[in-house]
Order: sequence, then C-alpha cells, then structure tokens
Amino acid sequence: HGGILPPRHIIRIYQWMTQIQKSNSELVTQHYLGKTTENRTMYYLQISQPSDKIKKIIWMDCGIHAREWISPAFCQWFVKEILQNYRSDPKIRRFLQNLDLYILPVLNIDGYIYSWEKDRLWRKNRSPHMNGTCYGTDLNRNFNSSWGSIGVSYNCSSEIFCGSGPESEPETRAVAQFIKKKKSDILCYLTIHSYGQYILTPYGSTTRPPNKNFGPLKITAKCTGTDDNIIPVLNIQMHVAEMAAAALMGKYGTSYKVGPTSLILYSNSGSSRDWAHMIGIPFSYTFELRDKGTHGFVLPPDQIQPTCEETMLAVTTIIDYVDQKYFPGGAVMLTASSLGLSLCLSVVLTWTVS
Amino acid sequence: QTYRPSAEPASVRSHPGRSPPLSTMQGLSAAPPAAFLLLLLSALLSPAAAAPGAERELNPSGRLAAGAARVALHYLNFQAGSPGALKELGQVRKYYLQFTTEDYKNGENAGSCLATVLYRRTKFPPVVNIKCMHTKDQKQIQEEDNRLYQKIRHQTKPITGNNIPDSYGHIEPALEPAWALAVAGSSYIMWEKSTESLGYFLAQVKSVKQWVNDFIEFDYTVLLHEIPTQEIISCHMRLTWLPGHPLKVKYFCASENQGLEDGSGMESGSAAGILHGKGANF
Repeated sequence: HGGILPPRHIIRIYQWMTQIQKSNSELVTQHYLGKTTENRTMYYLQISQPSDKIKKIIWMDCGIHAREWISPAFCQWFVKEILQNYRSDPKIRRFLQNLDLYILPVLNIDGYIYSWEKDRLWRKNRSPHMNGTCYGTDLNRNFNSSWGSIGVSYNCSSEIFCGSGPESEPETRAVAQFIKKKKSDILCYLTIHSYGQYILTPYGSTTRPPNKNFGPLKITAKCTGTDDNIIPVLNIQMHVAEMAAAALMGKYGTSYKVGPTSLILYSNSGSSRDWAHMIGIPFSYTFELRDKGTHGFVLPPDQIQPTCEETMLAVTTIIDYVDQKYFPGGAVMLTASSLGLSLCLSVVLTWTVS
Repeated sequence: QTYRPSAEPASVRSHPGRSPPLSTMQGLSAAPPAAFLLLLLSALLSPAAAAPGAERELNPSGRLAAGAARVALHYLNFQAGSPGALKELGQVRKYYLQFTTEDYKNGENAGSCLATVLYRRTKFPPVVNIKCMHTKDQKQIQEEDNRLYQKIRHQTKPITGNNIPDSYGHIEPALEPAWALAVAGSSYIMWEKSTESLGYFLAQVKSVKQWVNDFIEFDYTVLLHEIPTQEIISCHMRLTWLPGHPLKVKYFCASENQGLEDGSGMESGSAAGILHGKGANF
C-alpha cells in the first residue's frame, strides 16, 4: 500500500495513533474528542510545534462516510508526511510556527468498522432506529446548517437520512462541540470524502454565495487581470480552492472541479462544511478524492499513494495561503500577484466607503 | 451510430443561471454602494423566470451538464441502436454537449464527442444522439474483441467470481474481461434509468457466473451507485455477447420503494471500446 499503514481494522488505526504520538512526542499529542454510538472512543491528533506563541488552528477530519476508504488513508498519509518532513521542509516549518493542525483520522468509526466486516458500501453511522429494525444516520446531513431542509430523507432506510434532529448523533455532537469551543481560533475546516474529484465550497442548501468579512483586512474581493483592467471577483474561498486544485493537478495531471456544492454537485443541508462556515470559520472545504466513477468507492490499491501525494499538495496550498494571510511578515516575497492584490485592496476599500 | 429523431422537439438552449461576469461593473465606479450595484445588475441581466421551453445556457461545470454527459456516455458505451420515435413532449429538456473522453482502462485520451441528450418523463429512457472522434483504431478494437471472445470460448472452466473489484479495489486479471462486459451491460441499465435528477455509476460487480452453452452468456449481480440519493441499487443482469452483434441485456433491479423494475433490450456492444467521460464543456 505504498508505505503507509494499510487502513485495516480500526484497532490498527488506534495503534497507529498511539505509536505516532510515541515516536513524535515533541510534536504530536492524542486527545479525546467523544464517543460513538457504539461507545467507541474518538481521538484527534494535535500537531503543534512547541512555542510560546499563540497559534491558530487548521482542522481536518476524514472518514465521515464509512465506505470512502481513501479518506482515512489520506489523513494518515498527511500526518506521516508532516512528521517526516517538518524539519527539512521550509514551507511546513513556516506554517507550523503559526498554526496547529488538528486531525481526526476516522470520524465515523462504527460505520467504518461495519464497512470492513459486514457491508463494504455502508455509508452512515450505526445508530439504531425503529426498535433496531433500521440503522444509520448520514452524519453529513446531521449538522445544524439548514438541517433537514433539502437533499435529505426523514426515513431511516435512506442513505441520506438526516437523523431525528440536528446533532442527534453522538459523533456529530463530539465534533460540533469541540469546534464551537475553539471556533475563534480555527481558520480552516477541511473534511475529506470520496469520490468525484471536487473541492467544494459552501453552500449546499442555497446558491447564494457565502459573503463574510473576516479578520482585520475585511477583504470581500480579489482582483484578477492587469492593473489597467482590474476585474473584481467576489469570493476568496473560490480563489484559494482553485489554487489548491491547480497545485493538485501539477502532480499527476488529475483534474478537480471547484465550486459550491449546490451548483456543481447537488443540493443538500446539514453538512459539516456548511455548518463550520456558518459559525464563522472562514475557509471551509469538502474534498472529494479520486476517482470519477470508474472504480468509485473501491479505488485500486495502486492509486492510494498517488491520490494521497496529489491531495497533500492541495491541502498544503490552502494551509500556506491561510498562514501567509493571517501571519504576514517574516521573509515574504513580494510577488506580482501580491502587488496586484494590494492595489486592488485600495480599490475595494474605496468602493465600500463611498 | 447516429440517430436523428423523426420529429425534432422544440429545442432548448439555456439561460444564464449564474450571476453575470462582474467585468460589466467597470463603468459604474461613481455609483452607489457595491451591494446595490450587484442587485441592480442581476435584475437586468438574468430573466425573471425561465418559461417552459425557454432557452438556457448551462454551466459546463454544473451538475446538469455533467449528468447529461454521463447519460450520453452510458448510451455510447452500450452503443445502442434506434431508441424509437418520440411521442410525448411534456416538459422537453434537451442538452447539447461536447466533451472529451478517456480510455476506461488506462485513462488515455480517447477523443471527443458531440451529443444531444433529451430527458423525457420517467419510465422512458433519455434519447441520446452521439457522435465521437475515436483516437483508438476501430479495427484494432474489433480485433481485440475477437481475440477476447476466442479466449473465453476456449477456456476449460466457466468464469465465476464475486466482488469485482474486491473491497480493496483489486481486480483479478482473469476476471477483467468479465468486469469489462459488466460495465458495457450496466451502461445499458444506467442509461435506461437515468433522469434529469437521478444519475448512476457502477459501484461494484457483486457476482458473475458464466452460462455453459454455445454463446458467451453471463449472469451478473451489479451494484449501482445512485446520485443524489446515495443509494446502492442491486440489479440482476443476463448478458449475451457476440462481437459485431447487438449486445443482449436483460435485467431487473431490486428497489425498496418501487418493487421490481423489468428491462431488456438488444443492442450492440464492445468490450474494448468502453469510454469514460473526462469533462463536459460547451
């Protein structure tokens, strides 16, 4: 499986987390997040460079849908890569000075185990309904973001059953409570799925673009084009996602589509990504990894490593951007695009003031 | 493989469903605040409501275009003949598409296609008209098919298998031909079942069993992944293959809500000519 720990049973994942913490104890700590429906413990890994600086947070979760096995594989790969390269890679060193990485390798542990032992194409968690005659809530329809409004079913037998209410599931509550607690420090929320090759931005439940002002800069537009012909574009989230997709494509030529879920995929409500953005986290993305349907959920083993490698580039592009935006200064190169951006900033400020 | 319906329905293009390019804002620098400007522009440039039969321009990255292109490809992979004359019009939704394709096996560029997809009411398959530029030599494809056919005919044991690919995404080399035929046959099922709101992918071949007789005939259980419901639909498929002849597919799909759906058809198919959509663009 290309050098990464094959995602066998969940016990191996627990063992891997313990071992990772042991052999990198200066950087990694394992933390309790909550319990699943079947009373299994959810842990997240915190990658944090020791320092007296106050850091901001990047959150990434994998495995919210049981059958999307490439997703937990990527979280493992990501942690391995960071720990392997943080001493030698200047980009990683730079962002670890300012950012802590919080990684939840398998969010839906019960469902994941069920997909290994009983039903490879299981999607939901394992909460019992109707006196145990029907199982599972779609955790990515269970968050409190326009919950139950569109793209869901109220019937337990459906794969997109949104649960008995928003945050009805212990897994959802565990994640939501933690993120709510830390939300003033979380700059970026990433959630990893498969398949389809997309980087999805909010929202699923409406086609109205997200329109938030964040941080001290209050940027509401980015500019493209030359100085004579500045074309304002609303939505920095899209711009960053497009950069990430371009970086990903640079590795093996894999092409990803970028955009709001409601426009390029289908309408849905109650997703974790939408909820994270609604409570104020500025950069919130869903990744749908390889492939585009040829193998779908059962991706061939020889594609695991290339998928992880290319996705790594996309994720680090986003982290880099967030790092440079919120922690400018230090050895920052003034590139043409950043010059253009600062020119454009003055234009935007004039508009909103007038 | 081209088909012209005998009666052209009222053709439908598309309206700009998205907000207009903001470069049109350039001339309005001395104007009121940005938010009001945007509101004004979107009122001017997008039509109030799309009347039925109105022309609309589609976002090529959008789900409707992708869905229609997928349907066209199901149809192509199955290489259907004439789907029959159009009868009911009702709400006519016709898509004009151009897209590139890749080889199913190795992902190499396999040429581009022009297609039209016409969705009709449920219980009627979409009408597809598709023409492709092939990069792979058609004679080469025929020869590959014939070689494969002979190979299967002269096997000592009939082909049987379960879970193709297996849980880890692996396909036994000996089962690859059975998988390729399953893709071709499933494409027929997926084409027939597709609507403007429901799309399909082949998730896994649950089982395959070869019939021992004078033909190459397989019984399959295939699992289809339905979008956006996320359901896994189990279909039983009987497939008969003779290169250069119409592919024979009979199927029924188990469905919790609707009971059993029956379907069958005689269409031509090729194992070596399977294409996979790369991306839709206008």
